[in-house]
Amino acid sequence: MAVSSVRTKHWTRVEYERLIDLGAFRPGERLELVGGAVVVREPQGGPHATAVGLTEDALRQAFGAGWTVRTHSPIALDEDSEPEPDIAVVPGSRRDHRRVHPSHPVLIVEVADSSLEFDRREKASLYARAGIADYWILNLGGQALEVYREPVPAPYARYGHRYGATITLSAGDTVCPLSAPTVAVLVADLLP
Amino acid sequence: VRETAKSPVRTKRWTRLEYERLIDLGAFAPDERLELLGGQLVVREPQGRPHATGIRLVARALRAVFGPDWNIEAHLPVALDEESEPEPDIAVVTGGPRDYIESHPSRPELVVEVALASLALDRGEKASLYAGLEWQTIGSSTWSRTSWRYTGSRWLTRTGPMAGATRRRQPFAGATR
Repeated sequence: MAVSSVRTKHWTRVEYERLIDLGAFRPGERLELVGGAVVVREPQGGPHATAVGLTEDALRQAFGAGWTVRTHSPIALDEDSEPEPDIAVVPGSRRDHRRVHPSHPVLIVEVADSSLEFDRREKASLYARAGIADYWILNLGGQALEVYREPVPAPYARYGHRYGATITLSAGDTVCPLSAPTVAVLVADLLP
Repeated sequence: VRETAKSPVRTKRWTRLEYERLIDLGAFAPDERLELLGGQLVVREPQGRPHATGIRLVARALRAVFGPDWNIEAHLPVALDEESEPEPDIAVVTGGPRDYIESHPSRPELVVEVALASLALDRGEKASLYAGLEWQTIGSSTWSRTSWRYTGSRWLTRTGPMAGATRRRQPFAGATR
């Protein structure tokens, strides 16, 4: 049913985490909280899963010790968002976050096939609002890596912020993560 | 809602059983006014005085014509289908007050929504949900329409005589314009 002109329930992150603790969701459900809405993550195809693995490997090598590369793990992003990005790079070791989800990754990567428009508009504005400094979209259809930086206020964007700097890189290009500026990552190494 | 509807991204659709479990678990704040419509948790807007007055008038009129064997319910849950549990402004259900202690009524004889701001929703999505109920389960419809219009100073009711209207087997039988 297409619901128009109605407000749906706006979940806070605290409420959402309580739902998880109460066992309100089915075990197989892949969900995330995006701006108060409980959103279903689409099932991953082979290329998507491969790209996530390749990106995880490349970033683990690029960042090295002192960083954790997490895949499909919750981020306590803000009051009404708990996304589970394909990849998030956070400082410290894995056990640092066993009680509380990390809230401020230095890099978030979303691998996009059918979700490309959502990742570009909704997720980009959401991450910009949270001040995520480095956001990448690995565009499988376009065989390109889109790099988003410099979050700025933007009244007409979905969540009131957007990224001021965007560049699209192709397979032969390299990218240096903002938090590992001396390491060049080859885009071709991320593509399945 | 509109933005996400356009993108390929889906919001979680709750089943009625999941929704009832959330209520049992105390997942919602006590003052939250929600209903489940087609899998979505829809927030009910606060009621103004004209809306509340409309509900009282409808309840009084229906109580008079239906008599003691019916519950005239205001804002009580209806177990409508697998993904819907609305709380209509008025629902007329058969039986006594204790008949639904195990499960909410699912097949009201009559549903009335009093519409001011929500008119588009009531005419569109809700009418579609309720109509689905009528056609699928009762076959020969008991749907009747009563028009209540707020003129700015008072309610105009255009129901005509409802005498003998305890059960209607024809669409719009007993409804006059």
